[in-house]
Amino acid sequence: MSNSENKYWRGIEELEANPATLENVSNEFSDKLPMEEILGDSEELSSNRRDFLKFFGFSVSAVALAACNKTPVKYAMPYINKPEEVTPGQALYYATTCGVHNEGFPVMAKVREGRPIKLDGNPNSPLSQGAMSAAGQASILSLYDVNRLPHPKIDGEDEEDWKNVDKKVNSILAGAAGKPVYVVSRTVTSPILKASIEKFMEAHNATHVVYDPISYSGITKANQESFGQAVIPSYNFDKADVIVSFGADFLGTWISPTKFTADYSKNRVPTPEKPEMSKHYQIESLLSLTGTNADYRYSIPASKQGKYLVSLYNMLSSGSGELELPGNALKQIAAELKAANGRALVVCGSNDKNDQVIVNAINDLLGSYGNTINLSASMNLSDYDEAAFESFVSKAGSAGAIVMLGANPVYSYNNGTKLVAALAKVPVISTAMVVDESSNGAAVHAPTNHTLESWDVYQPMNGHYVTSQPVISKVFNTRSAAESLRAWAGEDIAMGDDQASHQWVVDYLKGLGVDANKALHDGFVDQTPSASSATFAGSVSAASSAINANYKASTGFDLALYQKVGILDGNSALNPWCHELPDPVTKVTYDNYVSISRHDAETNEWEQGDIVKVSANGVEIDALPLMIQPGQARGVIGIALGYGRNVQTTLDNDLVDLGKNAYPFVQSSATGTNYMVQNVTIEKVDSGYEFAQTQTHHMIEGRDYLREATIDEYKENNAVRNEHKFETVSLWSDYDYSKGHHWAMAIDMNACTGCGSCVVSCHIENNVPVVGRTEVRRRRDMHWLRIDRYYSFEADADETASVRVGPSNVDQDFKKGEWSTKENELAGLDKVSKKGDKDFGHYDSVKVVHQPVMCQHCDHAPCETVCPVLATTHSSEGLNQMTYNRCIGTKYCGNNCPYKVRRFNWFRYNKNSKFDYHFNNELGRMVLNPDVTVRSRGVMEKCSFCVQNIQMAKLNAKIENRKVKDGDAQTACAKACPSNAIVFGDRNDPNSRIAKMFKNDRSYKMLEEVGTDPSVLYLTKIRNRKEEVQHS
Amino acid sequence: MSGSFYSNSTFVAIVILAIVLLLIAALMVWVLRHITSILKENTDVEVEPSFYERTIKPKMDSWNPTIVTLLVIGGLVGVLFVYGYDYGWTEIGVQQGYAPDQPINFPHDKHAGAMGIDCQYCHTTAGKSKHASIPSANTCMNCHKGAQLRDNYGGKVSPELMKLYTSVGFDPETSSYDEDAETYPIKWVRIHNLPDLAYFNHSQHVTVGNVECQTCHGPIEEMAKVEQFSTLQMGWCVNCHRQRGIDVKNNKYYEDVHKEMKANKEHYVTVAQNGGLECSKCHY
Repeated sequence: MSNSENKYWRGIEELEANPATLENVSNEFSDKLPMEEILGDSEELSSNRRDFLKFFGFSVSAVALAACNKTPVKYAMPYINKPEEVTPGQALYYATTCGVHNEGFPVMAKVREGRPIKLDGNPNSPLSQGAMSAAGQASILSLYDVNRLPHPKIDGEDEEDWKNVDKKVNSILAGAAGKPVYVVSRTVTSPILKASIEKFMEAHNATHVVYDPISYSGITKANQESFGQAVIPSYNFDKADVIVSFGADFLGTWISPTKFTADYSKNRVPTPEKPEMSKHYQIESLLSLTGTNADYRYSIPASKQGKYLVSLYNMLSSGSGELELPGNALKQIAAELKAANGRALVVCGSNDKNDQVIVNAINDLLGSYGNTINLSASMNLSDYDEAAFESFVSKAGSAGAIVMLGANPVYSYNNGTKLVAALAKVPVISTAMVVDESSNGAAVHAPTNHTLESWDVYQPMNGHYVTSQPVISKVFNTRSAAESLRAWAGEDIAMGDDQASHQWVVDYLKGLGVDANKALHDGFVDQTPSASSATFAGSVSAASSAINANYKASTGFDLALYQKVGILDGNSALNPWCHELPDPVTKVTYDNYVSISRHDAETNEWEQGDIVKVSANGVEIDALPLMIQPGQARGVIGIALGYGRNVQTTLDNDLVDLGKNAYPFVQSSATGTNYMVQNVTIEKVDSGYEFAQTQTHHMIEGRDYLREATIDEYKENNAVRNEHKFETVSLWSDYDYSKGHHWAMAIDMNACTGCGSCVVSCHIENNVPVVGRTEVRRRRDMHWLRIDRYYSFEADADETASVRVGPSNVDQDFKKGEWSTKENELAGLDKVSKKGDKDFGHYDSVKVVHQPVMCQHCDHAPCETVCPVLATTHSSEGLNQMTYNRCIGTKYCGNNCPYKVRRFNWFRYNKNSKFDYHFNNELGRMVLNPDVTVRSRGVMEKCSFCVQNIQMAKLNAKIENRKVKDGDAQTACAKACPSNAIVFGDRNDPNSRIAKMFKNDRSYKMLEEVGTDPSVLYLTKIRNRKEEVQHS
Repeated sequence: MSGSFYSNSTFVAIVILAIVLLLIAALMVWVLRHITSILKENTDVEVEPSFYERTIKPKMDSWNPTIVTLLVIGGLVGVLFVYGYDYGWTEIGVQQGYAPDQPINFPHDKHAGAMGIDCQYCHTTAGKSKHASIPSANTCMNCHKGAQLRDNYGGKVSPELMKLYTSVGFDPETSSYDEDAETYPIKWVRIHNLPDLAYFNHSQHVTVGNVECQTCHGPIEEMAKVEQFSTLQMGWCVNCHRQRGIDVKNNKYYEDVHKEMKANKEHYVTVAQNGGLECSKCHY
């Protein structure tokens, strides 16, 4: 019988048994006290017994003195008139919106005593399906951002009265007579703001210019050409059986990743009744989050993407194409796409019109339109038209006035400096909430409300209207941009108290023919038109000849500019949650870097952490660290956009001056925007940069934590890889958990995409502190929930057969006395890397598994038995309880935990200027969950299964005189998960989803053999691929 | 123990100062005696034995120095212990008996006692939420718009009640609200303070557990000035959880527990037996 053929590794340093990494593995709580820093290295200064007594005496008296505080007097201030719906201590939920991916993402805001503390996806809207991306969840902090402008400013001077602001704006606009006036905004999906802009344009003869940092004009133009509709269609990944993506990171950053992830995962989970799943091919140059989830993944140079598309089209239409992938894969893909009979989908991340025309042609051949692609329910993601913007840039210097309506082109436009020069000559009126690059030096700052403070309606998808209502009274003296524009257009309405905005929303909803109150309650109105088929009218030959004509062999590297899952286009630059979230693929926090293939790094004798200068077309980044990325195509380097922001801030933390701005590399002209740059040169200037990378934190040293199989194996045997059942012997008398609740969790590794949404959700729900880059480097990140990312080589079964990897040869190995010894495993790991391929060809294509790991709530928990003060104990409901006030910080529990999920709280992260994040200012602390203790230093902390929600669910059931229903108690991670990979519930409830998971043959417990009996199940990952090597 | 917050740090400073002064005094006495003895040796003048030498010293010489030392140290330790116990008690947040002055001298004995107003008429959320909540001023105004308590104040409004009227902008003479008046919430002093690390939910106890308010808060209906009746220590919580039974019969949530009790012919299950002593019931 075969075992899990894969040998998993987390990074090259682990694979090659890098000494520093090995040392880290053996010293869990790595850092020695920095005594040298304190004492210097002089002999005399080393402490002896007398010093110890002195220190001891001093500390005793210091503690005694420090304790001499009288208990503070606390006050309780009731309302004067309590609002009817508010019950102090009980949360209220409101349907509203957040604006991260597309403006107007439907959310449910959890509000405690008038302040929103958590955002979750609106469960009923097809856009969110109850889930939310990492960046979206983190966006709540922008409401409590101390960098927000507290009131308007005129010529840099604070101004409290909006009437004076309006007077000043009117005088600017009057002075602009004869000269053009521009309104520059991001794509506007709010019909209310749109109407306001139109009023303003009428009044001042102004021009509206749309600028988006990320352009999708390639798609809109191609659809204009192919179907006569300049739209971004909506894609239905749930209806596709074969998915081919050319460089589109649709699970991470492309168009509407939360919706796509939810849809995609619906067809990725095989069941015994229906042992089928979609087949996903990813053909890309960088290893994207989407690529890590593909069944088959091929790395190609970014510059050749168009030619591959043409080849695929030709194979589909005429049976042969110019280019081919290894193993005649492209031919295979073409055959499978055809066989899918309309249930196929091809997408491409390119922003080149010709590429997209070919994609449209392919989809048309496959019959995708009307099935997997809906042109009618188009996504209103971007109206950005490069030609209009370029013409604005050329004329901006002679404008009479420019209204910056939330757009920030100075930062993200590739010729930002040119724009700066132009803006310096023109009075700028900005409605930005913070002083960003484009509004720095504006004549008037008229800060708009945060989305969570506003009334609005958005239309993110054609026919899908999302309503926004204020969930907090205004934090600062701000006014919605829509109201400001109308005031400047000369309308006389009640401004500033949102009465006007509210009325516009109600009127608009009435205009849609719906009940305004119901719409505001539901959070959306769905009038999405159904999919209609479309006839392709584009010219494939013109597009393919253009692609061939444009293709030039690169003389240097190809540079692929991409967005990161947490950072996106860089708009949330000062949000610590986005940066503390490790990148799903590289596991790097805080930095951007130049990613490169192993082959290229070895050929040029570059190492990870080398600092390089990148230059192309006269643009240059002087220093960025180099990151060796398995799976990356040769000849391609990748740099993430969204870094190098320059926002005015009073904070002093790692988010200031973070990374380098790669937008200047973007190829933007009137015809389009291209995120792929050719002929890039790299020059090593320095070395030794240390990434704050979590990939080798808490290594599990090659033990049996992952199980995967192919779909064919699964069809044969639903319990594939899980056949071996361990007999456990307990030293303790067992507790009977069959009564009452027994909380448990299951994580379906087939559904999990590794997007990191759960990580941020957990952070917010549980008041997890942000520790900053230096502390992450010291492996002191505080994530209660981490996502482990493992690589494995495509076909290395033979070489690794001698290495113990799966559960099935445990018995033999155990008899041989070789089981689970560290030396054996590392020797095995080393062997894999030395398999003689100096070309490092095996690094070009790697398989990836994402595995979320949190406290496993073991019923035989090793941590509990070693705690000397009983600070961690077990509950009758199967919870591994952590009692902070008892903990004395011995860290024995963390040492004894086989899953490495316990986090030691090294510092007091609140009210500590060393950690100048949201825990350290009054405003930022508003986001804290009042039901969860803010831990102090010196204690262990870990996942509690969101016990506050469990307790609340039980209490509500008791008050309502009923039993707890499945789904009442939810953990933050399960709620946030877009792919429903995390299931939480009471396994003693026979009808619960979790109880069914325990009967699922695919489920296993991590490190079953150590007998910890965890309450967390993992479901074996099934890949829809033929196993290339079968060995007996 | 005193109910009010005296400043402990001041007290500690005084004690330390007193000890230091005593030590200095002792040193000076010793120096003085040393000097006199030297003088005596050098001058050889016969000095009349002092009162101390005649009467006290012989007695003291007959005492066992070890026992005396032990007694003195014992006494000091005793005093320090009593002080430290009291000090430590308040320091860890045990404020039993704490009865601070409130911004309005609100008499619970009149409202809950004499008038017999139900606790939850004012503390409306005690049965619904974590907090019992102090009533908002408009709740007071339900009655006090009419009840202006002029009888004892020669026809004038009670000065305590006047504070309420000012806070909500109410003019008792015209019995109307002044729309332009600046209103402000009343800043009550919180008496029952649990540490942040303990989660307590009123509705669990009031609605589900049917616990009388007086069980924890004492005879509120007799208190003219409210004081903290219980210690609010964990031991106090735990003791109750060990003794008190759960009303399993009348709540469907406990259906399974009830069935099992019937099967085992048990009649009583305590909170503790149902997991009520487990850490994460209150600490998370």
